[in-house]
Amino acid sequence: MAPSSIFQSDEQHRRLLVDCFRREAGSSAAIPGDEVDLVETGLLDSMGWVSFLRAVETASGATDLGIHLNGRAASFAILLAALRDPISAAAPAQISEVSRHPAAAAMPAVVASSSSAVGSRVIAAEEADRAFGMPVGKLRGRAGIASLAYAVEGENELTLGARAAEEALRAGSCGPQQLDWIIATSETHHDYPALSAQVHSRLLARENCAALDVGGACLGLLNALAVGQSLIGSGQAKTILVVTADVHSRTLTPGRVAGEFGGLFGDGASAFLLRSANGNGASGGYLLGEFIFGCAGQYAAAIQVSDSKDGSLNVKFDGEALSRAAITRMEKVLAAVELRSGIPRASVGGFATHQPNPRLVTLLAKQCGVPKSAFPPVARVSGNLGSSTCGAALHETLRNAAKQEPGHRRPIFLASLGPGLLFGGGWLTALENGK
Amino acid sequence: MTKLLITEITRMGQAFCVIGLQHEKERICSIRPVPASANGWLHFPHRRGDILECALAPFPAPKPHVEDRTATRGFQKSNSVAEAETVSYLRKAETADSLPDLFGCQVRENIKGAGHHVMPHEAKRSICGCETQNLRLELYANELRATLALPSGEVLRDLPVVDRDWRDFIDAALASTRGANRCARLDRFLNSQFHYKIMSCPHHFIRIGLTRPFQEFCWLMLDTLFPLPKPEWLEEF
Repeated sequence: MAPSSIFQSDEQHRRLLVDCFRREAGSSAAIPGDEVDLVETGLLDSMGWVSFLRAVETASGATDLGIHLNGRAASFAILLAALRDPISAAAPAQISEVSRHPAAAAMPAVVASSSSAVGSRVIAAEEADRAFGMPVGKLRGRAGIASLAYAVEGENELTLGARAAEEALRAGSCGPQQLDWIIATSETHHDYPALSAQVHSRLLARENCAALDVGGACLGLLNALAVGQSLIGSGQAKTILVVTADVHSRTLTPGRVAGEFGGLFGDGASAFLLRSANGNGASGGYLLGEFIFGCAGQYAAAIQVSDSKDGSLNVKFDGEALSRAAITRMEKVLAAVELRSGIPRASVGGFATHQPNPRLVTLLAKQCGVPKSAFPPVARVSGNLGSSTCGAALHETLRNAAKQEPGHRRPIFLASLGPGLLFGGGWLTALENGK
Repeated sequence: MTKLLITEITRMGQAFCVIGLQHEKERICSIRPVPASANGWLHFPHRRGDILECALAPFPAPKPHVEDRTATRGFQKSNSVAEAETVSYLRKAETADSLPDLFGCQVRENIKGAGHHVMPHEAKRSICGCETQNLRLELYANELRATLALPSGEVLRDLPVVDRDWRDFIDAALASTRGANRCARLDRFLNSQFHYKIMSCPHHFIRIGLTRPFQEFCWLMLDTLFPLPKPEWLEEF
């Protein structure tokens, strides 16, 4: 690594340390000297020290930082050295910068175009209240849902997904024969052939275009984008189509699940064309930044869905616990994205997040101190679309950004959750910004 | 005089915090004897499994440390029981299978970084036992931390390990007289033999405790991990 880039990286790491230290010790805490032992001097107690390190790990992407700090002082200097090279910080072995940070040397991936689709039958929330036997006005009053988009006869995950996919390909001036991979995700499609295979056939992609399904339920889009980014980054692919499609209205039906759960969901799809940054047709668009993923197992019991032998659905849904978990964890993810990207949340153009229900979006915006209008109103208009919620929100945010003059397109933050509690976040920056 | 079966001895800074089990009518409950003027004991020469006779006086302990009792006289050892028997009594005391049942309230994650806490006024008690689906210990930046899965499948991460015997074992493992690469050797032990020894033990059991209120929260800690470490394990790594 050239000396100048080491210096730049050190400055980024120092900024991270300072931000995380202030979060732990308080915004008015004085920043200690590099050699000061934070624990011995009492600036942080042992719990604060571990908490601070975990925040640094999340923000920097350095995993298991603490393992490399055993037997060493709890100082900024040691941390900076460990962040620069965690292995040589613990032992004198050398490792190349490229092998430690493969993404740094990888080909960037760009979202070249996007689209979304929802079920053709739009009903008022009150109709869903009645269908689920709930007091009329409950979905609107308690969850903030105004209407729900349901698939009509003839519509399913394939048709909705294919509709979004064809539109995204058209918007990206890309023929299906140019695709190297199709990556699909759905929380409701459990049939075979898998959704990616069905979309592959429907689009008439090349036979040697690969097809892959990824899981994660509502986190599925972020998982799929991360897989696509890795394939492009490693040189395995130049052009990838990511498709989400979810049709809840045939699974979460009245009589099968409670209305407080089933009534929240609608049907929809989204699609994104990913290209390598130096590939043909990637002159505009949004550059995919880094992703943060994890699983917060303390919330595992908040939502659990399984099939039973008699064909019914076992749903364990603690709405209150899940709401608390969703807000806490999404706020934490967005804070980590902010720290890792160095992009202040105030300068973000839109938040393409999962939207369990509109009420929680309002709460999340308030907790994060950002305007509610920065979150496209997907769940309010169409309901929770599963993996396609984040997709529809991202498409809407990209569409809004496209109306801005080049050079004025602002970054986009991603955040989503899935049962587990899986969580993920990331960011996109307009290609012309070059960040 | 009260008879207490000592089940917890935890390191809290320079002091030791002690908890024992007491038969109260038909049930077994946890009691935390504390000196008249402090929360912990600077010297506590007894071991877990010891049955101690002591004079205890209730006092208005702030929630959630409702188990606190003032010890008005010294401890007198009357007997002791084996580790497996101690655990059999712990299994009859306060136990829970899920996160909200541990302290009868919501357990929150630390939004800033790591760790879990409860609101002092919400928690109904400050100690609870449970079985685990899995458990891992880790030396993380010189701090001993536990990650575990409850029977409900809920996971707790980065719990400070304050169990005196396990902390002593880790200190002994890292003693300079044990030669080179001590951290790496300990890490290997914790990732291999430790897991087998703990999870295959029929009396594997843990107790999770709460700190005194600190910055408005009571933080979760791993107070006790059974089986206790054996000195001969040090020869294995």
